[in-house]
Amino acid sequence: MNHLTEEQLIEHYYGESPQSARIDHHLRECIACSEAYAAVRGDLAAFEPITVPARGALYGEQVWQSIRNLVPVYERKQQGLRHRFNNSKSLGFATAWVALIAVAIFAGRQWENHRGQLQVQTAATRPPTMLAVLGDHLGRSERLLVALKHDSGDSTAPVKAEAQNLLADNRLYRESATNSGNPAFAAALEQLERVLVEIANEPDDASPARLAELQKELNTDGLLFEVRVLRSRVRDDQEEEQTGAIRTKGALI
Amino acid sequence: MEENNDQSIVRAVLSGDKEAYGVLVVRHSFAIFRVAFRITGHKADAEDVVQETFIRGYQKLESFESRSKFSTWIYRIAVNYALNLRNKRKPEVAYQIGEDADATQHQVQIADTAANPERLLLSQEIDVLQARAMENLTATERTAFVLRHMEACTTEEIAATLHIAPNAAKQAVFRAVQKLRRDLAPLKVNA
Repeated sequence: MNHLTEEQLIEHYYGESPQSARIDHHLRECIACSEAYAAVRGDLAAFEPITVPARGALYGEQVWQSIRNLVPVYERKQQGLRHRFNNSKSLGFATAWVALIAVAIFAGRQWENHRGQLQVQTAATRPPTMLAVLGDHLGRSERLLVALKHDSGDSTAPVKAEAQNLLADNRLYRESATNSGNPAFAAALEQLERVLVEIANEPDDASPARLAELQKELNTDGLLFEVRVLRSRVRDDQEEEQTGAIRTKGALI
Repeated sequence: MEENNDQSIVRAVLSGDKEAYGVLVVRHSFAIFRVAFRITGHKADAEDVVQETFIRGYQKLESFESRSKFSTWIYRIAVNYALNLRNKRKPEVAYQIGEDADATQHQVQIADTAANPERLLLSQEIDVLQARAMENLTATERTAFVLRHMEACTTEEIAATLHIAPNAAKQAVFRAVQKLRRDLAPLKVNA
């Protein structure tokens, strides 16, 4: 075995050497490496942790009190986000919101047409189903984008498979949005579709690095934000449905 | 056990119980302050990191996945914010040890504490040199070294926290140790 490098000695000191036993053996045999290791160990052992200023017992409570008024109750936070979003892109997203409802209605009808037995349902029971279908699609899309963003370096196959699964549904929703004259919503779904197509068509052995590159190229961060906003609105609408506040929508259908 | 409790608190917060978040803040503030201070090197900056971390954590709480630990998740937010803060502050640091700094240069710049006992003087000298050596590291090197040497994180944990490859994390620690050893070599001569 050759003499150990400084890097190997440092790695060994921190207990992360893949050849720990061999290095231990070598250190017993080689005086030069043994002395070098003793020097590394001495230097690092002498490097004491930075002394952190003491915090009082109530420090955590003080931190909470200092930020308490800066964070809204969670439901209000979503409304705040919506308000902020509307201010910045008011026209586009007002249109998108109208489009979302329209697409949800359209998607629900499509869904029900494929299931004759569901036609006996009353009008008042349709919206939750429609919204659930769309909400599920947006939720799965969001999870895929999050997985892409925080890629763990594992196999890319699950991400690719999920993109393939989502692609067909997304096309349906995009076409629905286009046909019902809702360009803002259609544009968001079109961008999502481009990402899904790219991921779905990656080779089976695509590296995590390649997915990271795709993430940058396609600006998936921006898309993720849009999907989250749309999804939160669908969820809000579902909650309203559950409280019975949206009966009038059922009448409109 | 505490982690399970953290997760149930997160669910409560997401359901509209804002006050529940206070429990998480109280529980994790000390740990966040500790790592923030070690990375930034400034008390005021560390306090800023603690506040900002918990605000960001609240805003991102919906993206917290219950299969991970809340403590790890919030810790990562803190480390990244502290790292960014340090990157911004770096040009403002007045003292920089040059690449070719020698022992004489260090000795001249140590505060005169001759009135103190010899042991205290040596201890202060060590503290000053160590602090200056840490200042000489890049923000990433310093953070990687703090996480490795002082927070006992593994290479994988450092990589995940800093969003870099494990090999890059290992190299950052390695470069940090090399620089620290080089900068602290005069101390061994003096001691």
